[in-house]
Amino acid sequence: MQFDFSPVLERLPYLAAGAWLSLQIAFLAFSLGMVIGLAGASVRAYGPRWARALVGAYVVFFTNTPQLIQIFFIFFALPDAGILLSPYQAVLIGMTLNAGAYLAEIQRAGFESVRRPELEAAETLGFSRLQTIRYVILPHIIRVLFPPLSNQYILMTLGTSMAAVFGVEELTGRAYNINAETFRSIEVFSVAAVFYIVITLIATLSLAFIGKRFFRAKMRWF
Amino acid sequence: MFAQMLNELPSFFSYYNLLFFAKALGTTFALSAIGCIVGFTLGFALAAIRLTTHPALTPLRVAVTLFTELFRRIPFLVTLMLVFFVFQAMNADLGMFTVALISVCVIATAFIAEIVRSGLESVHHNQWDAAATLNFSYWQTLRLVVVPQAWKIILPPVFGFFVLFIKDTALASQIGVVELAFAGKTMNNKGFSAALVYGTVLMLYFALSYPLARFGKYLETRLAPTRNR
Repeated sequence: MQFDFSPVLERLPYLAAGAWLSLQIAFLAFSLGMVIGLAGASVRAYGPRWARALVGAYVVFFTNTPQLIQIFFIFFALPDAGILLSPYQAVLIGMTLNAGAYLAEIQRAGFESVRRPELEAAETLGFSRLQTIRYVILPHIIRVLFPPLSNQYILMTLGTSMAAVFGVEELTGRAYNINAETFRSIEVFSVAAVFYIVITLIATLSLAFIGKRFFRAKMRWF
Repeated sequence: MFAQMLNELPSFFSYYNLLFFAKALGTTFALSAIGCIVGFTLGFALAAIRLTTHPALTPLRVAVTLFTELFRRIPFLVTLMLVFFVFQAMNADLGMFTVALISVCVIATAFIAEIVRSGLESVHHNQWDAAATLNFSYWQTLRLVVVPQAWKIILPPVFGFFVLFIKDTALASQIGVVELAFAGKTMNNKGFSAALVYGTVLMLYFALSYPLARFGKYLETRLAPTRNR
């Protein structure tokens, strides 16, 4: 077995551009998912009973079915109903809905972690409602939520590789393309793997730094 | 759209189609179950190796650490392709199911090793020291002191991972393993409407994953760790 990395290394900028798209998809899906998650978690904590049940069903359904099939459904079934989506849009919508379910669940746990004595202590100190939120609830929630959220972000970055199945030319998609062009399969996919390792390592380290430095979150470097 | 789906229903749920789906469900189940069992066994072993302190084992520790850190950072799809092409280059005559199974085991091992390691490390260091004072061997320390305290911490996230993991096996369809996702694609290609086909596939995955998720939740509340450690 002989390895020849040169055809892959020649196309390194092409792969790097794909990696950039992967990062964009992960970031977009995560941000939009955070909005859905925040809304969902608030409804689950304070909403009326029927809305809580609805959000609960959404979370249970999306966390118990594969993201791949969810995107398949969006991509192949919605055109029958007259909604035509590009692969990129379908992947983004699928990933956002999926992320929204997970993030709702994570944020709900964060909301629940605020303990009553803390609120009572704030009241005793004569904090106004806004002050309580600003100085007691938010710091606590962020501290608790930051580690699982960053973990979810890393998992989502890896999850973007699924977009390749639908022909989106992100990192894995471009690795497929190069593989089809050069037949240097092992080389291409190991270089792509190195890309993913570097991307997630950078993300882990910087998120751990931010969490430790600013939110006093309990995080490990690895 | 719905009228068409209703028309398709009788032919969709014909005997052979149901058999096809049942077989595909079996394949998905086999992939996930074997992956979980192998992943848990090997993952536990790797975590135990990683926590050793003997200087002679340093190369092994480094290798194990690299394995877990790297494979947790490669998407399953890329791992799958790598395993697939490596075996192809070695001229190994393996079925697609075997290839998928190997990649599934690799990824489960890496993730579970990390979960087990953090679980074992959550046991206070005094316990390790006390065991060392009593002249326990490493194996005795693990078996008699650490694991009895750590398994409550380890099990809930392991089940959480199993749930994630069942859904990851859907990617095995990409190399042509006939599991649920692939069955869905095949049926869609046969002309059944996508909403019907993928709706069914989603339901089947749900049926597989939901009981496990409930069990994980149950374990989580049941085994809630005590605060005084």
